[in-house]
Amino acid sequence: MLRYNFKYEWLLLIRNRWIQLLSILLLLLFGFAVYNGIQKVEARQNSIEAAVTELKTQETATLSVLDSLENGHKVSVSRWRLPSRPVVIGNSLARVVNMPAKSTAFIATGQSDLFTHYVKPTVTGDDLSMSYTEMTSPVQLLFGSFDLAFVIIYLLPLLIIAFSFNVLAAERESGTLKLLASQPIRIRTWVLQKLGLRFFWLILCISVTLLLVFVIFSFDFTANWTSLLVLIGYIIVYALFWFVLAFATNIWIRSSAKNAIALIGFWVLFVLLSPSILNQLSNSLYPMPSRTLMLNQMRTLKAEATKKQDKILDSYLRDHPEYAINDSTQTRNFYHKYMATQNLVKEELRPVVEKFETQLENQHQWAHTFSWLSPALTVQNALNDLAGTSEKDYQEFRSQSLEFAQQWRDFFLPFMFNNQKFAKSDYKNLPAFAYTYKEDATHLRILGLLGISFMIMLLVFLLKPMKQKISIV
Amino acid sequence: MIVHTFRKEIKELWRDGRVRIAFIIVLFLTAIAVFISTNHYKNVNEQYVEASANEREVWDNQGEKNPHSAAHYGTYAFKPKYPLSLIDQGVDKYTGTSIFLEAHNRNEAQFIAASDQTGLARFGDLTPDFILLFIIPLLLILIAYNSITKEKENGTLTLLNSQGAVGWKIVFGKWMAIFFPVCILLSALFLITGLLLSNLPDFGVFSWASLFTLLVTYLIYYAIFINLILIISASVSKSGIALVLSLSVWILVCLVLPKAASNLAEYKYPYPTRQEFSENIAQDKKQGLDGHNPWSKAAKELEEQTLKKYGVDSLSQLPFNYDGYRMQKGEEHEAEIYFKHYNYLKTQYSNQNGIYQKLAAISPYLPVRFLSMAIAKTDYNTHWDFSDAAENYRIETQKFLNDHFAEASTYGEWGFKADADFWKQLPKFNYEPPSLSKIIQTNTSSIIIMLVWLVGSFTLLFFTTKSL
Repeated sequence: MLRYNFKYEWLLLIRNRWIQLLSILLLLLFGFAVYNGIQKVEARQNSIEAAVTELKTQETATLSVLDSLENGHKVSVSRWRLPSRPVVIGNSLARVVNMPAKSTAFIATGQSDLFTHYVKPTVTGDDLSMSYTEMTSPVQLLFGSFDLAFVIIYLLPLLIIAFSFNVLAAERESGTLKLLASQPIRIRTWVLQKLGLRFFWLILCISVTLLLVFVIFSFDFTANWTSLLVLIGYIIVYALFWFVLAFATNIWIRSSAKNAIALIGFWVLFVLLSPSILNQLSNSLYPMPSRTLMLNQMRTLKAEATKKQDKILDSYLRDHPEYAINDSTQTRNFYHKYMATQNLVKEELRPVVEKFETQLENQHQWAHTFSWLSPALTVQNALNDLAGTSEKDYQEFRSQSLEFAQQWRDFFLPFMFNNQKFAKSDYKNLPAFAYTYKEDATHLRILGLLGISFMIMLLVFLLKPMKQKISIV
Repeated sequence: MIVHTFRKEIKELWRDGRVRIAFIIVLFLTAIAVFISTNHYKNVNEQYVEASANEREVWDNQGEKNPHSAAHYGTYAFKPKYPLSLIDQGVDKYTGTSIFLEAHNRNEAQFIAASDQTGLARFGDLTPDFILLFIIPLLLILIAYNSITKEKENGTLTLLNSQGAVGWKIVFGKWMAIFFPVCILLSALFLITGLLLSNLPDFGVFSWASLFTLLVTYLIYYAIFINLILIISASVSKSGIALVLSLSVWILVCLVLPKAASNLAEYKYPYPTRQEFSENIAQDKKQGLDGHNPWSKAAKELEEQTLKKYGVDSLSQLPFNYDGYRMQKGEEHEAEIYFKHYNYLKTQYSNQNGIYQKLAAISPYLPVRFLSMAIAKTDYNTHWDFSDAAENYRIETQKFLNDHFAEASTYGEWGFKADADFWKQLPKFNYEPPSLSKIIQTNTSSIIIMLVWLVGSFTLLFFTTKSL
């Protein structure tokens, strides 16, 4: 029977032009989405590269000035911009602390349109004034991006619904169900076989078109074949879930229109409503403290600190006797006071800043705990992780870059407090930054989604009252 | 005939369980959304009032200080929230709420709410605008997808025709029966919202006219949707197909096209990255007058000009402190640079807007989306308006401070300190948002596109159903 079914289904789908239509549609959707993704990644990489090149030219210029200075030549740079002053180097030659795109970044835009991909922490800058949000038109952020993740999460289920909502009901509505019932096969098994076959054809179509699109956009298969397999794996699990759901509604609900309504209802629930409800709940349960009030606090602290600058510097030097000892000149200027004050303000603001971080972490935990409620969320998170554009990645970038900023300041502090000149030979010792992606993604959630699909399937088969009630009239 | 059809359809809808359940669900969701938004609105407003007051206090009490130190110390402009943001949050989540106003620099608005939230935020919030823009059209599809196909499927269309009923009259009756419940429900909801808002203490900024315009916008949006659904229902023979087609239109119009438009807009008219933007400004600044650098070429030129203008031969003979004067000239020059670069951003955005408007020809969602945000004062234009107002205030503040420095001190007197109560003389920052008529003026194209959609879809509906 499976053989007949297979053959018949194939003929049906081909003659209905379903397969052809689906392939073309998928090709267009995937093509446009991958194109958009690649555009974004290219823009991102270009901006980083431009910044690095800019820094290189600046470096060469600065080093040549430094060279002339050390050789006793005259230079045409104003006194306070001389590169022998450590503070000048620390501010003007700030490293391009960047987060290069993963090779899979085009799959999901994630948070990449919201956050910036490089910062340039300076020696006198403070962490709080460093902006990590990108300059994007907010309208664009509101509408979101047409990326591969959007096609998979939002549109694929709708294709599946259109592909499967009336498998049984259409037979009933056209009167062929009676004929079918006379065949030596249980209706349920028949529906299962039919949907299984459609699932098979859909996955085949998706894999082929996706591969084709990847080939067109010259995806590096040899280096990234595992990511590709993972991506297809995610798609299969997600598509399977929707097919199982379609199977259940086909068995339970009689008319094709009602079937479609039920499936669309699930779609609205999983894709639109549950993420927004979860978001609202996480915001209400773990509200963010007010940023504007934080500003007030910061301002008051800074104002107080500035008033007692001299005292702060004194106690700072007491805490760091090495500076007092090593410096022969013992002169103290604006920047010494500034750096000492800066440190103090940072320390005092730490609890306020930490409150934001813990609340965000709480929200994240909460969202993570309940994200299995929506398969769409599960897959979105998985895809963002795969692309390296999830909020966790950007948080990681923030913390790694802030660590580097501290390292950068720490490098210059001894120079400044010892009133030591920055020499050309010190240049090679400047700290360098390289971002490392944290790979702790697990496939547990996706496997969980697979489990949910099997459970729904089991329910359909186990629920006794349904056993013989698939009416054929 | 129209009245008969109307009555019959209303009765049928009323008796239909799924419609009742759907209505209840939508009402329930709306109630939650309104509740959450009200809380949010109250919170934000309290914070706004507190922060503005605190900031002003810090400014007023900075003690004796050099005016230019005070200029560097700066102050903050906070963005207020408006009552109708309760209905449409617009892009508020993606624009900053506070702008730091200091000497020499125009700063971007800081603290974008979305960056303080999890990735979930990108799926959207359960706010009234989400329900109004996405869910209610879906509800309309649910009510109306089979209103003509069912007559065909049950064979009642022939019966109706045999009684001499004209196609468009039947359809118009059905149209009314779908539109009326939604219209009444929506009006009631808006009325309640209006009463709620007008009872809030800061009633001053709320206007019934804006609320009414918003209501009309949404009613037009729904009328367009009903037309589209009925056109589909009249053109196909099976309810199932009509449903799937209507849903496809909904997805295309509300989800796919806006995203595609945003990608196109970014691709054709990209914004610079934040770093590039500030680098470009820094480049321009380097070449011009810097208030802190009396040795640059531009500074020398200014010196000569000033001396010539006042007919004296040394800076100390000028009737004012030249340091303050140069500071102000530098400020003006820098303000021009910022003006130029921000104008570039604005041009990019207005070009992007052109793309959204072109695509609005195939998506009625787009003009309604933009109009709704604009009326609620949560759109990008309002943000620009606020940011420009803050910049103007910054420029005025700098002038106020530099002028005092120039007038009250003598040349070279960098140790000069202004009195402790001097700061109180600085006028407060008062932002007036654009009025409704101004908003309508700037959004005329959206309104026209929306009306074209309305008339066009009505005409098409009339011709497809003239003879059913």
